[in-house]
Amino acid sequence: MLFDGTIGRAHKQLSSLRLLRYPLSLIFAGGSLVLSFLLLIAGALLARPQAASQGGAAGARQVTPGGSVVFATQIRPILAARCYPCHGPDVQQHGLRLDSLQAILSGSANGKVVIPGDSQNSHIVRRLLGLEQPQMPYGGPPLPAEQIDLVRKWIDEGALGPDSSEPVVAAAAPINDVKAAHSASEKPVDFNRDIRPILSDACFTCHGPEEKSRQGNLRLDIRESAFAEHNGYRIIVPGSSATSRLYQKISSKDIAFRMPPAWSGRSLTPKQIELFRQWIDQGAKWQSHWAFDPPKRSAIPEVKDKTWPKNPIDNFTLARLEGEGLKPSAEADKATLLRRVSLDLTGLPASPAEVDSLVADKSPDAYEKRVDHLLESPHYGERMAMPWLDLARYSDTHGYHIDSLREMWPWRDWVIAAFNRNMPFDEFAIEQLAGDLLPNATLEQKIASGFNRNNMINFEGGAIPEEYHVEYVVDRASTTATTWLGLTMGCARCHDHKYDPIKQKEFYRFFAFFNTVPERGLDGFEGNAAPVLSLPTPEQQQQMDDLKRKIAAALTAMPENDVLALRNEWQKTRLATLAEPTRDALAMHYPFNDDLSDAFSRHDGKLVRGEITYEDGPAGKAAEFRGESEANLGQAGDFDLHQPFAIAAWVNLYEEKGKVLQKRDASEHWTGYELGLEDVAFTRRQERNLRVVVRLAAAWPASAIEVRTKNRVRMDSDHHLLVNYDGSGKVAGLKIFVDGTPWETETTKDDLRGSFRTSAPLEIGNKNIGGAFKGRLGDLRIYTRTLSDTEVEDLAVHLPARVLLTKLGGTPASEIAALQPEKPPDEADIGELEKAEGKEQKQARLEKQDQARLSEYFLKHDAPEKYRQSYSQLVELRKEKDKLEKSITTTMVMAEMSKPRDTFVLGRGQYDNKGEKVTPGVPAFLPPMPEDLPRNRLGLAKWIVDPSNPLTARVVVNQYWQQHFGTGIVKTAEDFGSQGEQPSHPQLLDWLATEFVRTGWDIKTMQRLIVTSATYRQSSRASHELIERDPENRLLARGPRFRLAAEIVRDNALAISGLLNDKIGGPSVYPYQPAGLWEEMAFGQGFSGQTYTPSSGPDLYRRGLYTVWKRTVPPASLTIFDAPDREKCTARRGVTNTPLQVLTLLNDPTYVEAARALAQRALRMGGRSDRERIDFAFKLATARTPDPQERDVLLGSLSQFRSTYRRDQAQVTKLLSVGESKPDSTLDPREVAAWTTLASMILNLDETITAE
Amino acid sequence: MHSMPDSDSLTAQFSAAMTRRQFFRRSSAGIAIGIPALATLLGDDGFAADSATDPKSGGLAGLPHFPPKAKRVIFLHQSGAPSQMELFDYKPNLVKSQGVELPDSVRMGQRITGMTSGQSSFPVAPSIFKFNRYGRSGTWISELLSHHGKIVDDITIIKSTYTEAINHDPAITFVQTGFQQPGRPSMGAWVTYGLGSENQNLPAFVVMVSQANALNPDQPLFSRLWGSGFLSSRYQGVKFAASGDPVLYLSNPPGVPSPTRRRMLDGIAKLNRLLAEKYGDPEIDTRVAQYEMAYRMQTSVPDLMDLSKEPESTFELYGPDSRKPGTYGANCLLARRLAERGVRFIQLYHRGWDQHNDLPRDIALQCRGVDQPSAALVLDLKQRGMLDDTLVVWAGEFGRTVYCQGKLTATNYGRDHHPRCFAIWMAGGGIQRGLSIGKTDDYSYNVLEDPVHVHDLQATILHCLGIDHLRLTYKFQGRYFRLTDVAGNVVKKILA
Repeated sequence: MLFDGTIGRAHKQLSSLRLLRYPLSLIFAGGSLVLSFLLLIAGALLARPQAASQGGAAGARQVTPGGSVVFATQIRPILAARCYPCHGPDVQQHGLRLDSLQAILSGSANGKVVIPGDSQNSHIVRRLLGLEQPQMPYGGPPLPAEQIDLVRKWIDEGALGPDSSEPVVAAAAPINDVKAAHSASEKPVDFNRDIRPILSDACFTCHGPEEKSRQGNLRLDIRESAFAEHNGYRIIVPGSSATSRLYQKISSKDIAFRMPPAWSGRSLTPKQIELFRQWIDQGAKWQSHWAFDPPKRSAIPEVKDKTWPKNPIDNFTLARLEGEGLKPSAEADKATLLRRVSLDLTGLPASPAEVDSLVADKSPDAYEKRVDHLLESPHYGERMAMPWLDLARYSDTHGYHIDSLREMWPWRDWVIAAFNRNMPFDEFAIEQLAGDLLPNATLEQKIASGFNRNNMINFEGGAIPEEYHVEYVVDRASTTATTWLGLTMGCARCHDHKYDPIKQKEFYRFFAFFNTVPERGLDGFEGNAAPVLSLPTPEQQQQMDDLKRKIAAALTAMPENDVLALRNEWQKTRLATLAEPTRDALAMHYPFNDDLSDAFSRHDGKLVRGEITYEDGPAGKAAEFRGESEANLGQAGDFDLHQPFAIAAWVNLYEEKGKVLQKRDASEHWTGYELGLEDVAFTRRQERNLRVVVRLAAAWPASAIEVRTKNRVRMDSDHHLLVNYDGSGKVAGLKIFVDGTPWETETTKDDLRGSFRTSAPLEIGNKNIGGAFKGRLGDLRIYTRTLSDTEVEDLAVHLPARVLLTKLGGTPASEIAALQPEKPPDEADIGELEKAEGKEQKQARLEKQDQARLSEYFLKHDAPEKYRQSYSQLVELRKEKDKLEKSITTTMVMAEMSKPRDTFVLGRGQYDNKGEKVTPGVPAFLPPMPEDLPRNRLGLAKWIVDPSNPLTARVVVNQYWQQHFGTGIVKTAEDFGSQGEQPSHPQLLDWLATEFVRTGWDIKTMQRLIVTSATYRQSSRASHELIERDPENRLLARGPRFRLAAEIVRDNALAISGLLNDKIGGPSVYPYQPAGLWEEMAFGQGFSGQTYTPSSGPDLYRRGLYTVWKRTVPPASLTIFDAPDREKCTARRGVTNTPLQVLTLLNDPTYVEAARALAQRALRMGGRSDRERIDFAFKLATARTPDPQERDVLLGSLSQFRSTYRRDQAQVTKLLSVGESKPDSTLDPREVAAWTTLASMILNLDETITAE
Repeated sequence: MHSMPDSDSLTAQFSAAMTRRQFFRRSSAGIAIGIPALATLLGDDGFAADSATDPKSGGLAGLPHFPPKAKRVIFLHQSGAPSQMELFDYKPNLVKSQGVELPDSVRMGQRITGMTSGQSSFPVAPSIFKFNRYGRSGTWISELLSHHGKIVDDITIIKSTYTEAINHDPAITFVQTGFQQPGRPSMGAWVTYGLGSENQNLPAFVVMVSQANALNPDQPLFSRLWGSGFLSSRYQGVKFAASGDPVLYLSNPPGVPSPTRRRMLDGIAKLNRLLAEKYGDPEIDTRVAQYEMAYRMQTSVPDLMDLSKEPESTFELYGPDSRKPGTYGANCLLARRLAERGVRFIQLYHRGWDQHNDLPRDIALQCRGVDQPSAALVLDLKQRGMLDDTLVVWAGEFGRTVYCQGKLTATNYGRDHHPRCFAIWMAGGGIQRGLSIGKTDDYSYNVLEDPVHVHDLQATILHCLGIDHLRLTYKFQGRYFRLTDVAGNVVKKILA
């Protein structure tokens, strides 16, 4: 043990600790320990009155050196101050009471805590020192070392009394003088601004909305309770802090009496306590939470400086500045301002020409005209979409587990277009929440509803559908609440919200709106998950209509009932007329009827290794080999160069390659032959396909034949394979039949010279020679001649029919599955219990399968000709339709189930813990849904954008403010609830919100209002004093200055360099990315989105928002600049400043190539002198020309680079080869190299990646 | 005899660290102009900027809460979930029950995954591997882990760990972030947020991934496992790539020799400083410092990755794979080198443990890749005196079922996911040596003694680092979040 016997040392450590002020920002969000403490609050806040005592304070007393410690005066005050809250008269944690000597010595429920004479082994000391956990006092700062010394000394001296009979108990002693009315010098205290945030953070956990943990039936989040009388005490007495129990509690110096209790980890600062006093003495004016009241449009404030404001925004900000004694900053120069507003509104920099034209335009509204122009740019929609995609957790992959690709870009493009055509925000909201439910919903409106399909989706093998379905719906409810209402609704999933008045039941009523989508709990294997909207091109649509018509016609031509009758009649007699496969020259036949014997007993097989089981196969039984198992068929199949033969078998391979049969010796140049399946190719999902490969070798590879089929067979599925060899020794004499049909082959070797005969046995699976076999093998036949095409067909096609006819006997089929119209996809698999298939169910399923196969045989071979023709047409048409369907773009959308799923309150939020059934509804603290609105998503959407909703407009304008100023008026853009930050300019926020609604939710008008304000136009330069006073620029005494968002860092560099491909919309693209990032973490082949192949050509230079977003491996160069992973709704991004960003800007090929392009641009168009060219490039990046000092730095660097690259051609070649675009061959490569390096410096400037 | 930690020096270091923090907190009162020069790789984002942030380490002031036993963590995550019955949880009597139906009284109706819920039978599959006793403690360990025999007296084996999730995605997310659903910070991010960095040239939190030795397909991994969730993205783990630049974009582009790069950096610094004079924005100073840090990383990372100066004995210790970049063996060796360089949280993921079928074949292959390097890491840390202040954790995300998935034969079987018990081990700073705790029932199905929930494991890891898991919180969406969510108890029994 580290500190055994080293308490002295621990003291030293604690003396240094003493200096620390612990940040008491902890909380106990739950847990049994906490629950057991909860009584305390009830007790303490409502405790009976105690006798006053001045002895509460502790620790400051002097110890007389050498003297013995006096319990009553030296120890008890310490205990009273720090221990009584949990081990005092009101509460005894773990049965321990420390308020009398007797109680101390009797210990806790766990035994003694004080061993007189032995402080070292006294638990109380060990706990105080932190040698045992949890350290005491629990949750609070440790005792000062000298106090612990005192306790130790007291124990070592024998833990003696005398004890005073009266326990030292705390008292509610008002500390401050009572003031009847507030003095004139006091500023009025604003409840919402000053008091509620403190109550919320420090008190609501136990005296808030959540019922379960509420103490003493006291709520401090609602007026009725806070002002009522509790147990004979008035909690808040307006005008009289002294008689207000609340104030007595929070201001008490007696720690045992004081609120919040020490263990809670919360404490109030003297300033906060004083605020309470003032608030109560000023009359205790209560307000409901600001964000839950409708915005009030206050009068435009009067300001002293009448010349500064350009629109009402400025009156609000200036009034605040004047109140703070600050002045706004000067307007930024036109160039800086244009660059800022261009990046803010389009995410692209202003071109030098645009800068020059603005500078030259002396008209008073020159800037405004540019703003209008930017708002009309098609890139405006892209810029506005970026934060919206974060909120919508938009991504190109499903997110969970295998994280394969989905297609939601049609929704993304809808968002861009909606912003560009300035769709009013209320429509924008309604269409995204419920576009599918609008009357006669258009295609576009349905696409819009995809907002709430952007949630993550899972299909991990083994996952429980219902569990994940609940997650999807929770995510929709939480995302909708964050995006439109700024509410942390998800907090009420497991219990009532602790801070905001949202009951758990209300969460599930909100959840119910999103719970009736006809979706599956596990989906997405093959791309988009139902429900999807197919978006064919007009041409594809026509093809599809055409195919559907033809399929319907084909089905009409074969009425199922007629065909069924014929088929069942046929079934009775067909077996008798069906020919058996030929036995002519059949040398060996292994039916695998529970052993490896040959039907002719010529070469019985034997099991050499592992195990084999016998199962039903398509033509009788089949032997299952487990990979390690190995069978030896002796000298069966002993052939040579000139001996014709045929080998046939049913094969079902379970692995990605396998040797079906081999007869080859163990030598290095093996001699013999083998039949295998190799060269896996993946199609969709886990569908793997393999070529059939046959090899004959006299000596490999010099003298051998190797052929392989061009097409592939499916893994994990039964196929009949047959090899015909005519004894010619040539490839031409070798034919491979698959499922009864000769398959085209490709020859990889045709050079067999000499005998391939070997004495090695014929084997199935030998991992040492040839290879292992894991799969099923049935009806193995070896002929000493080649078989004709019809004979092959007998084996591959008719024999299975014989087997089926025999097996089914006279049992007729009740349907012909192949002739039934396509069923719509299942609505849902959610809620189905995991049940093992019973024996009978299994039998019924297998029989149905057999009947279907037999029907198919009938329709293919024996039905009347007209039906055979129609059927073969039908099969072809369905294949075509399948292919066409896969080529059509789809997007996931919302829809409603025909029979809506019920919603229940889920205990502790768990999917399998269903409680009360609930109907859709909105939380009671918000305005009710009007009667005439439907109780579905459409009703919800209309309620959300109803002007009576206090949150929506505020939340949205705050998002816009954040986009332009870096920080919202409410900094916690994601939380407008009681734990969120207060608005810096509440009246401004309300004014903007009402203005937004007044102008018909006109988004562009709102952008224009913000960016044409004098507030926005200020220069972002700031004095040290200002930065010190207002580091986050919450007062807005200067213009915004912040690093560009991740996508814009990229777009900006591409635009500056001229590489940018400004195409809008379409499927996402794959820019350069270091190799292996996806692959290293992927599931492997068989699913989409597991490997990353960079795009080529113009797609490499698309804007960042089009970069393919894989949630489990988000785009590296974007996340390095703080882009989120899009797993969850994100309302604001952080802005970090890290060395990884440096490495990206300096070394990522995107930026190196951009630097070269910028260099070439400067060399071609920047003028003739270095100076002109530097100015040109610098201006592209920063919208200004460098000042002389800066230019000198750049010129100096250039001359150094020039001398390097003039000397070193090899480096020039290397540098110019970075990136796919070709270097400009008309320029001197050495110059291009030197300028590339210089351009890279320019792209790396803080100014280049910052809007300032 | 292993060396005992020197409590005096630990205490002294602790005091020194606290005083230094105190100093920096004071000196940075108000706005931190000038401080950015000291900023570490953690940078500064002004987003989550906490007035209690220690500008030197980037950690929180007031942390650690008490003297830490471990300064850093190496978490060897065995992704896909190794079977406890084949490795640590010896059940010799199960042989008698081969093929016998798992009694309902054991399963007690507990949920199982969608992969075996359709099975009509749950036959018991005893392990086919032998177990031997090792060390002074005489601990039973599988023949597959013979190298672990050399470290049993240095580690604590916990055979009674359990979790709540039954599929990989939620389970691995739970172990690494304390929550089954995405969105929470990873353990390494919490630790970095709390304690900051101990070095100036490397990230504080490094992740490495190695590929399966087994043949069956791997389970995917997700960057959320080392993500920062709602914490600032500066706390997210930096994943070293197995090939190419270990840190993304670390190398200069082709054609930019280092003197040229140096000149570029000097030029950029001059220009940025001129800008800083104009705008007064401390972010610009911070950026200047980040360019210098990046430049230092360009040297320190290759130095870290360069194994050429390691003596032959190192490779003998870690096994032949340790010479092959990207393997688990090489990553274990790198983990030691990262630890030596003061990296706070080192997270390895080794893929390939998900053995639903062909378990005997695949687990044997897997152990061939994992056994020796894991043991070597402990031995190596010990011989360097670093085991005392390094915490090593070896764990998967859940266990595997005693009943067979798929076909049961005498030599072959598979096992499904099993959340109710799994075996892990811990070693080093703060953990007892040569201890084995936890008892499962006869079927290695339910925990009988010393249950250790994933949150308990997390609380214990934080405890070893001097962090009270109840007090490391972050306010997000109005709530104070923790790694251990609303639960977790330190496993005192295993503490040294």
